[in-house]
Amino acid sequence: MGDGSLELLKGTLDVLLLKTLSGGPLHGYAISRLIRTATDEAFQVDEGALYPALRRLEKRGLVEAEWSVTDTGREARFYRLTEAGETELTSGVRTWRRYVEAMGRVLGVPAGG
Amino acid sequence: MSPGVEGEGGDGRSVRRDAGDGDVDREIAGHIELRAAELEAEGWKPDRAREEAERLFGDKEEIARACRAIARSQQRAVRRGMMADAFWQDLRYGVRTLLRSPGFALVAILTLALGIGANTAIFSVVRGVLLRPLPFGQPDRLVTVAELSNKGRPMSVAWPNFTDWRSESSSFAGLTVADPFPTTVLGGERPVKAEAAAVGQDFWKVFPVRPVEGRLTVPADHAEGAAPVAVVSRSFWRNQLGGKPLGDYDLEVDGSHVRVVGVVPDGFDYPVGAQIWTPAEPQKHSDSRSAHNWKVVGRLAPGVSLDRARQEVDALTKRIVSGLSGEDPDFIATGAVVTPLLESMVGNTRRPLYLLLAAAFFVLLVACTNLASTLLARGASRERELAVRTAIGAGRSRIVRQLLTESLLLAGIGAIGGVAVGIGVVHAVVAAGPAFLPRLSSVAVDGQVLVFTAAVAVVTALLFGILPARRMTRGAEADALRAGSRGNALDGRGGVWRFLVGVEVALALVLLAGSGLLVRSFRTLLAENPGFDAHDVDVMPMSLSQIKYPTAADHGRFYGQFLEQVKAIPGVADAGVMSTVPGEGAPNGRLELDGSVDKHAVGEYVALSTGAFKALNIRLLEGRFFDERDGPNDEHVAIVSKSFADRYWPGEDAVGKSVTGGGMDSFWQERRFARVVGVVADARLDGLDQAPYPTVYFPYTQRPSRLRYSAYVVAEATDGNPAALTGALRATLRAADPDVPVEISTLTDDLRDSLAPRRFVMVVLAGFSLTALLLAGVGIFGVVSYTVARRTREMGIRVALGAHPRSVRGMMVAHAMRMVGAGLVLGLAAAVALGRVMRSLLYDVSPTDPVAIAGAALLLAAVALVASWVPARSGTRVDPTITMRAE
Repeated sequence: MGDGSLELLKGTLDVLLLKTLSGGPLHGYAISRLIRTATDEAFQVDEGALYPALRRLEKRGLVEAEWSVTDTGREARFYRLTEAGETELTSGVRTWRRYVEAMGRVLGVPAGG
Repeated sequence: MSPGVEGEGGDGRSVRRDAGDGDVDREIAGHIELRAAELEAEGWKPDRAREEAERLFGDKEEIARACRAIARSQQRAVRRGMMADAFWQDLRYGVRTLLRSPGFALVAILTLALGIGANTAIFSVVRGVLLRPLPFGQPDRLVTVAELSNKGRPMSVAWPNFTDWRSESSSFAGLTVADPFPTTVLGGERPVKAEAAAVGQDFWKVFPVRPVEGRLTVPADHAEGAAPVAVVSRSFWRNQLGGKPLGDYDLEVDGSHVRVVGVVPDGFDYPVGAQIWTPAEPQKHSDSRSAHNWKVVGRLAPGVSLDRARQEVDALTKRIVSGLSGEDPDFIATGAVVTPLLESMVGNTRRPLYLLLAAAFFVLLVACTNLASTLLARGASRERELAVRTAIGAGRSRIVRQLLTESLLLAGIGAIGGVAVGIGVVHAVVAAGPAFLPRLSSVAVDGQVLVFTAAVAVVTALLFGILPARRMTRGAEADALRAGSRGNALDGRGGVWRFLVGVEVALALVLLAGSGLLVRSFRTLLAENPGFDAHDVDVMPMSLSQIKYPTAADHGRFYGQFLEQVKAIPGVADAGVMSTVPGEGAPNGRLELDGSVDKHAVGEYVALSTGAFKALNIRLLEGRFFDERDGPNDEHVAIVSKSFADRYWPGEDAVGKSVTGGGMDSFWQERRFARVVGVVADARLDGLDQAPYPTVYFPYTQRPSRLRYSAYVVAEATDGNPAALTGALRATLRAADPDVPVEISTLTDDLRDSLAPRRFVMVVLAGFSLTALLLAGVGIFGVVSYTVARRTREMGIRVALGAHPRSVRGMMVAHAMRMVGAGLVLGLAAAVALGRVMRSLLYDVSPTDPVAIAGAALLLAAVALVASWVPARSGTRVDPTITMRAE
């Protein structure tokens, strides 16, 4: 993590987590690794910070969790997107797009994607 | 679908789930291990890899704490949601259960509606009369101040004592007289009777009111010799005075021309019912400290406690009287007492109202016991249902909750009915407007009453629901599925039933005994010879203009002529005038005897004409009535009551003795004695429930001054129909003087009103106890019917084996009566113990009066006998071959 690392924008972690889970159930460590590799370690965030965020999503009913066994035979807590979670993800992505487009127009940068 | 099956069983059978904190630590540890393994794979040394993994993770403790907090709050929300779900489920199930047995539901709801309604109604009255603060600013600072008599009783205040208190005490922000007097107001649309009050300078300081027109009275209006002014209530101004500009009025009140200076809003009426307030100070007042004429009310100064005020005024009064000479020590204050205003207004209604509230609660308790036993009986038939539910996994606490939800449902519907009953009763009471209940206008079923009702409903549901719920679930799991286990279960419950019926009987007996005591009191009271005959007597309270008739002699002359005109009306047997009528009471005071100022007596004194004795049939025992020999210029004469003669001239002939006094006229100052010419029977002038007071009667022709303040014309009808005379009496009075307001009633009605407080308490309590009796009867009926139904087979066998149906029936009844008997014993003990609290409400009846209490017990026993015999008979009348096939 060098000078290029970013502060995670407030509220974006939730969308990030939901997106990560949209491919199927994952345990916390797998989520963390996925985010790390997918973002090229761009975000400056403690790995542990995603656990309270996951718990909050669980409390809001966007994900549900269950202890299960990993491919390597370890016990881990797996998180899975609920229907409500999928809806939330869709709208989160839409919001994010609008935000980025708006910012892009202002800053004169073509919208990504 | 049956509740209790799904969801949390509460008994540890649920599938594995997260521990309370959702295994946060385990999850975090797993993460760090995996991260360390990954780092190792990248070539880190194992111990460094672990350190790095922990560093990357962040503050482990903090993160774990945050996760745990979220997990816990989530679980709480889940539990709440599940309980709410379970509650709705229970409620829906409860509604279905009730709908399946609409008869039971209806009876239960009606019973509860009655019980809760009674409590709602009485509590509304208690709250409106006793608890609600007075509608004046800072009402808890308002007090009344009274003198204490030599017997330690509060009494009205002598004017000089009031002025001394006011100038010398420091306990009050304001201290004022406030003396109500009924009066006639002339100069409005027509002559009207009005409630007036003579008030002191501080009155509007004690009762701050904002006038809606004009101004309040100011100190100049209260100066000695100031021109009379008045403040009137808005409704009086509008309705009686026509609402004209205040400057237009020249009223005549109490013998003075009065200007109206202000109008105060409706809703302010202190003293209660007052419509006109006039300054008291400008008139000349007796400087005697034994003339107790005034009611005194004050506002405590900031920071002064009731106790401190009392001590100060008491000490002040003792100091004043210790320096007195020339006043009769029997008639001056021995101290003073300060009482909260609310207490002095409603204090005497507290006991009867709380008694009725307790009685209402007893009725509710009877209703609860009744329902509890009914629910138990139903529980027996729901045994299988419950057992099935238990067998398929409902925990006992879940079933108890379900049964309590049903109870709450019943109580809730009952409470809604109860509020309806309460509103109806409160409306009826307020509409009937019993004059003895002060502050009736503030009685209503309001928010606080509803809170009370809701609380009562919940307590009720627990009272009648919890015992059956616990009983029904005890051992249900074990036995009930087995056939033939019913008998055992019933025996187990028999004890509870006996207990419940016993309690019910005991409660009902206490109520019945209480109302029995009141009924006995009332009968005793009615059987008393009042010493006069109220039948056929019309009463006209009179009020002459003091301007038109300035002297006592003018009043005397008016009544002399008016009585001649009344006697001439066809249908009038006798007519007279008197300074009081039975029920109103008479002033009492010191009298002097036998021509000596040293020999004195205490008695009530009345001025009247002989026609009044005759109209009221007050019997002459010795001597003669007044007649034409007793004119204003003749020798003064008097008639005394028998108790007066017996007390002051025991063993002697009262006729020929002499008496005077009472400050009622100037003859006392002249020491002009009146010779006793007759003795009459004692008459209860102070009310039917008051023992007769020794009384002296003076002829109004010689001593008419009493009639200036209070006069009644009484007329006895010949044909037993006093109401028929009303028209003629009115016309005659109109012709005699159109400025006298006409008011006519019959003495019988007036006296009935004087007993209204007693009647009210008696009727309400009797109503409650009859309800309790009915409920107890229904309860016994239910339990016995149920027992009979349960034992039909056994009885069939007994009859088949040769037992006479009658003896089987007898056995059933005896069984029921044993529990009734236990209840009676318990109830008798309670009735004797509780009778004492009723002592002050009784008239000439002991609180342990055996007739009332034994009568109540017998009545109850008789009802219980019928209630158990009827179902026992129908149970044993059936053909044994049929009953044996039952089941």
